[in-house]
Amino acid sequence: MVWALSSIGRIFLEFLGSTGRLSLFFFNAIVQGLRPPYYLHQVMRQFFEIGYLSLPVVGLTALFTGMVLALQSYTGFSRFNAEGAIASVIVLSMTRELGPVLAGLMVAGRIGAAMAAEIGTMRVTEQIDALVTLSTNPQKYLITPRLIAGVTMLPLLVIVADIIGVFGGYIVSIYRLGFNPASYLKQTFEFMEMGDVTSGLIKAAVFGFIISLMGCYHGFNSKGGAEGVGKATTYAVVSSSILILITNFILTSLLFEQGKP
Amino acid sequence: MTPKFAIKNLHKRFGHKKVLEGVDLEIKTGESMVIIGGSGSGKSVLLKCLLGLIKADSGSIEMDGKQILKESNAQNEARLRDIGVVFQGSALFDSISVWENVAFRLIHAQHMPKNKAKEIALEKLAAVGLSPSVAELSPAEISGGMQRRVALARAIATQPHVLFFDEPTSGLDPIFSSVINDLILTCVKDLGATALTITHDMKIARHVADRIAMLYEGKIIWCGPADKIERCDNPYVQQFINGLSTGPIELETEIKRVA
Repeated sequence: MVWALSSIGRIFLEFLGSTGRLSLFFFNAIVQGLRPPYYLHQVMRQFFEIGYLSLPVVGLTALFTGMVLALQSYTGFSRFNAEGAIASVIVLSMTRELGPVLAGLMVAGRIGAAMAAEIGTMRVTEQIDALVTLSTNPQKYLITPRLIAGVTMLPLLVIVADIIGVFGGYIVSIYRLGFNPASYLKQTFEFMEMGDVTSGLIKAAVFGFIISLMGCYHGFNSKGGAEGVGKATTYAVVSSSILILITNFILTSLLFEQGKP
Repeated sequence: MTPKFAIKNLHKRFGHKKVLEGVDLEIKTGESMVIIGGSGSGKSVLLKCLLGLIKADSGSIEMDGKQILKESNAQNEARLRDIGVVFQGSALFDSISVWENVAFRLIHAQHMPKNKAKEIALEKLAAVGLSPSVAELSPAEISGGMQRRVALARAIATQPHVLFFDEPTSGLDPIFSSVINDLILTCVKDLGATALTITHDMKIARHVADRIAMLYEGKIIWCGPADKIERCDNPYVQQFINGLSTGPIELETEIKRVA
């Protein structure tokens, strides 16, 4: 009994400790980021890495998701003669849910892992120590630009994912399922509201923050050579993916309450 | 005269593992001090304590008479402006070119225009025997010996008054090691800097040291002029400098100290 309680206590204390360390890490990055000097070239480099280089993977994911969504929706809706609702279902699903979540998960795999590996390697090869000795604050130089780029680039990627996903649904609906292009497009724009897009973009910004924070945190605190960097990369991807799914539910609940008629 | 560094009764442990157990050492201004000791003896930890990268548990470290253990990050950042460091694995930044590595502090801490900083970087690269053609390459494209020279060029780029070298010749062949040893000696003399070298390589110790200190089991067990080390009667030092497999230094040292 005592053993069980002490185990629970230990896990709880470890959780509180990790949360505290993560919070301090985040606040330190923000505080340092507000003070000059500002490393704009680093921010631009991260814009390129996170935004531009993630376009192919996010675009392909969105395209095929939109196409599959059209086929599956048709299968379900044809059972109660509601095929006409496919266009609105696709646009709502993509903008509110699938665009941000899938883009978030794909970027977590690509960028979260890359951040943890790069910063982790810098830690174990003493490059972060070298930054300090060169009078450069590593949090300001490495972490803040990645947080800014994550929060900024994910919404832009999600806009692209939304457009490509809806386009994927359009291609399948028109060329495979025989819908009329004009009425499909009309229905798409008729049922889409600005709130659908903005709720997806809010989610994307939060997911971008989570991905960058987890990638940087685990990389920055990695230790023990190649094995440590490998573990940091795994933790970064797993923790950011889980947090994206949990946060998605919380944000959806909040936005659902606000969007209720 | 106030020493450049005065270390008194310095302690540091990681969990149950005691690494430094009361280190006392003074480094005079303008001298070249070499700390020798086996792997895991705490040499690198001591160096990192001096740089403020690791906080010591207790004791005191003074630089130019000022206590540094309780200084803020900003004070540490300001202090480090006058210190150049060559790390064990060079620690060059992979994402930027060789000349940008050398000019890093000039550009990012001193906000020097890039073209001016590049001029100085090329000058420092020439000083360590590297041609301008190397400047545009990435660190991954040059050999380990060249990387070490770039690290040396980076350390001297801002003409610091203190130079730290952490195992500067580890992993290099004997010829490159000799080249690095000569470069260290030249740089230290040219700058008139106070130098601290951490090594277990006796060749570099004899070559660059004014004084040598030996760290063993977290304590300085011998410290004296470089030319006196051969005649010292400390059996630990004799075993270490002669590379003997038998003697008072036991291979199980690490395990004992954890307990």
